[in-house]
Amino acid sequence: MKTTDVFSFAFGAIRLRKLRAGLTTLGIVIGIAAIVALLSISQGLQDSITVQLQTGFATDTLIVSTGGGLGFGLGGSIGLTDSGFVLLVNDTQIIDEIENVSMSVAIIQKACYVKSGQRDFVRSVVGVDFDKYSQIYSSTFEAESGEIPPNPENETVVIGKRVSDPWDNGTMFVSINEDINILWTNATVRPPKNETYVGSVAAILKEIGALNVGGPSDSSVYIPIAQAQKLFGTDQCDMIVVKLENDNEATIQGVSAAIKTAFSGQVSATSSTAVLNILSNVFSTIELFLAGIAAISLLVAGIGIMNIMIVSLMERTREIGILKALGMKSRTVLVIFLCEAIIIGLMGASIGVVSGWGLAHVVVRVLGGSGIGPGGQNMRASGMTISPVLTPTVFVGALVFGLIVSIVFALYPAWRASRLKPVEALRYE
Amino acid sequence: MANPVIETINVGRTYLLGKVPVDALRGVNLRVEKGDFLAVLGPSGSGKSTLLNMIGALDKPTTGRVSIDGIDLSTLNDNALADLRQKIGFVFQFFNLIPRLTAKGNVELTLSIAGLSRAERGKHATYLLETVGLKERVNHKPAELSGGERQRVAIARALANNPKFLLMDEPTGNIDSTTAEEILDLVKRLNEDKGVTIVVVTHDQRIASQARRAVQMLDGLIVREKVN
Repeated sequence: MKTTDVFSFAFGAIRLRKLRAGLTTLGIVIGIAAIVALLSISQGLQDSITVQLQTGFATDTLIVSTGGGLGFGLGGSIGLTDSGFVLLVNDTQIIDEIENVSMSVAIIQKACYVKSGQRDFVRSVVGVDFDKYSQIYSSTFEAESGEIPPNPENETVVIGKRVSDPWDNGTMFVSINEDINILWTNATVRPPKNETYVGSVAAILKEIGALNVGGPSDSSVYIPIAQAQKLFGTDQCDMIVVKLENDNEATIQGVSAAIKTAFSGQVSATSSTAVLNILSNVFSTIELFLAGIAAISLLVAGIGIMNIMIVSLMERTREIGILKALGMKSRTVLVIFLCEAIIIGLMGASIGVVSGWGLAHVVVRVLGGSGIGPGGQNMRASGMTISPVLTPTVFVGALVFGLIVSIVFALYPAWRASRLKPVEALRYE
Repeated sequence: MANPVIETINVGRTYLLGKVPVDALRGVNLRVEKGDFLAVLGPSGSGKSTLLNMIGALDKPTTGRVSIDGIDLSTLNDNALADLRQKIGFVFQFFNLIPRLTAKGNVELTLSIAGLSRAERGKHATYLLETVGLKERVNHKPAELSGGERQRVAIARALANNPKFLLMDEPTGNIDSTTAEEILDLVKRLNEDKGVTIVVVTHDQRIASQARRAVQMLDGLIVREKVN
């Protein structure tokens, strides 16, 4: 029997039971759609975070902070460790002595009320040496309008794009050369004391669209480090960004070790590559977990196929008897049943991939509209957008997986059908 | 002398009905030569259909031997048996047409099993259906056909692969007497004009009288033979 004839015979058998075949197909559709949606969303999330980290995070930098390492609670203050060790602003001098270190810059970062006109926001206020910072992050700490003063003596402010234009629609919160009020409550003294800082906006950074890990971000307010020390009444800094001579693995390792030794192991130095690796590991695990859940639904769909095929086998016992009496080989009977599963699997998987892809977009849109991004800001304000990514691997993998599940679960019914003896099958009522 | 088309030597078949063994055939010896028209008569349970299944390569004897064209069926494997069945025209008592296929589709199915291309099949199937007088009903499904018409489709299907012989199980059992008459005519013509070898299992005395030979079965044995 020719292959095309086998296929059209199988197809005819499916068409006869449209509802049943449709429901079976639906099982596969749901399983595959779940896999595709979950994987393409998590892939999109991973891509978007990786890109943002790479933008905001030069590969030849290290972040020195106290404690166990750099968390992902971005913008938070990394304060006292258990041992009471603190990193001071002038600790950069110690780091600058280390071989292969090009320069280092201390960062003080606190959440403050930022006021202009009638509006106020909570924003991350970062005290930093403008000159060095712009050298380390030359591509991101760059003014779009105004000029970043290299050695500011008076009270200047540099703001991120999203501080000046919070909704990205031209409704300005503050413009260049306007004054901005920073209000910070010092809760370390009794009674808590309100400190204020009024500065003129000297520069607005160009849009970065990236997360803030050591590097500049769209939603931060920058003031000179000396002013920050005065405002916050402390010499303690939250982290020190170290620029290396190069981004060789050996340099990164050597400098990290030297920094740890210099501070008697009280600090940790994290490289951007390390952060990316951690992230990538986390995402692989999440992806695996999600794919596992989706695979269970596909397993259920597979059992559905098997169930349907066995019912179909019983219904069609007589038909199989006729086919065999007409001289059809057992192998052909097997192939016909497998073909039915292949058709169902292929249809289910194709529809599943498409609807999963659509589902991913719907989910992203719904989350993007009301979702919470890093730092409690909505995704838009933090410059974070996710677009689902359907990699060829996921696309082909999902199709193949759907097909394999259908075939595997059809094997037993098909084998049983092929083993039927003609006389007994013909006698079956 | 050439081998007979069909030869059974001392064929026995024992079934297990639950746990009780039942001897459906108890040593049947039969020879059918090319061009023969044999009627097998006998009451229900005499083993007629079982014998037909043996000759049709649908079932295997417990004892004895069935040969077709001199080839012992017990020496053939599953695939070879399937190939052989393509060359045997079987007309079942209950027609056994595939309900979702049209008359033409049913005939074509047999041809497609034998590996014929779509174009060859279509023409041949139409020709066969014309031969059995169903020219106008080619595209009807079995449910839209009368009993006699279904029987004709079954005969057309059985003839499709130019079989060595035609086996018919109660061909007139489920149709009215006028139609039965027509079917009988058709069968006779096939035998006389086209030289098709035919074995018919029947209760119908008219068929028995039209056949060249008739054998009477009882309790799994051939008890009498009559040549017309």
